[in-house]
Amino acid sequence: MSDPVIEARDLSKTFPGGVVAVNGLDLAVPPGVVYGLIGRNGAGKTTAIRMLMGLLRRNRGTARVLGTDLWTAPIETRARVAYVSQLQRLHAWMTPEELCHYASHFYGRWDRAYARDLARRFDVPWDYQVGVMSGGEQRKVAIVLAFAARPDVLLLDEPAAGLDPIARRELIDELIEVLSRVDGCTVLFSTHIISDLERIAEHVGIMDRGRIVAAGRLDELQSRTKRVQVVFEGAAPPPGFALPGAVRSKAEGPVVTAVVRLASDAQLDEVRRLPGVRVNVFPLGLEEIFIELFGPGSRAEFVDGEL
Amino acid sequence: MLHLQIDPHSGIPVYRQVMDQVKYYVAAGTLRPGDVLPSIRELAQALSVNPTTVVKAYNELQHEGVVELRHGKGVFVADGAPAMSDAERRKALARLARQLAVEALQMSASPDLVLRVVRDELEALNRERSRD
Repeated sequence: MSDPVIEARDLSKTFPGGVVAVNGLDLAVPPGVVYGLIGRNGAGKTTAIRMLMGLLRRNRGTARVLGTDLWTAPIETRARVAYVSQLQRLHAWMTPEELCHYASHFYGRWDRAYARDLARRFDVPWDYQVGVMSGGEQRKVAIVLAFAARPDVLLLDEPAAGLDPIARRELIDELIEVLSRVDGCTVLFSTHIISDLERIAEHVGIMDRGRIVAAGRLDELQSRTKRVQVVFEGAAPPPGFALPGAVRSKAEGPVVTAVVRLASDAQLDEVRRLPGVRVNVFPLGLEEIFIELFGPGSRAEFVDGEL
Repeated sequence: MLHLQIDPHSGIPVYRQVMDQVKYYVAAGTLRPGDVLPSIRELAQALSVNPTTVVKAYNELQHEGVVELRHGKGVFVADGAPAMSDAERRKALARLARQLAVEALQMSASPDLVLRVVRDELEALNRERSRD
């Protein structure tokens, strides 16, 4: 397997005052992969991405993009990485046109025509000062700047927050366009819009309290995580009954419902063979999986860090 | 281009959804041997999904003998039925039949009913296939 393009090892950040934002984060994104990062507010996603981007000094561990620490990397390397973030400040007095002109000096592969085309498709007012634009419009400008740099790596922190549905779909389409190119692009993005992630993320990582608690291929996570309902007809479940691979389980009268992680559906055969038992298996969307694992009353423990 | 309906929230991996629908169209005769499928990029754009998802679906479909990827030319529906031996076909069918049998037992359906439903479905697919 080729070296990861984005990599964090034991990455940690404690802010003055003692707030531990990132605490031993391990993450690796192989070339050409779209990695989706999810987690509750305050899980440390933004801080982690800022350290990877070289905008924030870490306290411990390593953060590498394209094999180097962007905190100390030369401008040529930094120019191959583009960033969109909720914390980003664009020069408020400039228009998108001026910002593009300004940015073109820093990015060797700056594509002027592409920037124009993107601005048109994202419906960015080309000659308004950025400072008078809405939050969503400013985000669109940041997206235009990031893509027009023709980067090898995109670090996107909540890129879709504040975007209208059409701009959101345009963003996904643009990512697909970039990913279809022969010279590919590696993408790390954080989001609360899980439907976007389900469309384009190949890998997902779930962050909780400053670290990745579970990570893996999205299709495997979907194939392995199910909701299972077992109905014991005319009887209560036998004492000590437990579904194989159950993460969360709840019993009400004759019905046992559980979220399970299974290597194969055959693991349920034993339950199916019990007398007077009815078993139903339902697929779970990522949002439901996330809520089941992190919602009220649950704090899933991941023994192996595997989803 | 044929319409494929993708539901990213369903919890069923998107590549699986693509595979199942292509297989359905082939089984129903809507797609015939030699027909061209959309390119990876076209399908990724049309469905707004990651191109690697489409690659995975096409690779798996090729593995199952449903499509053929010809380099530089595109993706075609493979000639003839999926290249399976009788034994393999029997094994694949038995796995699906097992699921059906389990469900049927759970809802106390009679064996006659199960067989009748299967026969009706086969006939319906055949009718669809001969219509066009």
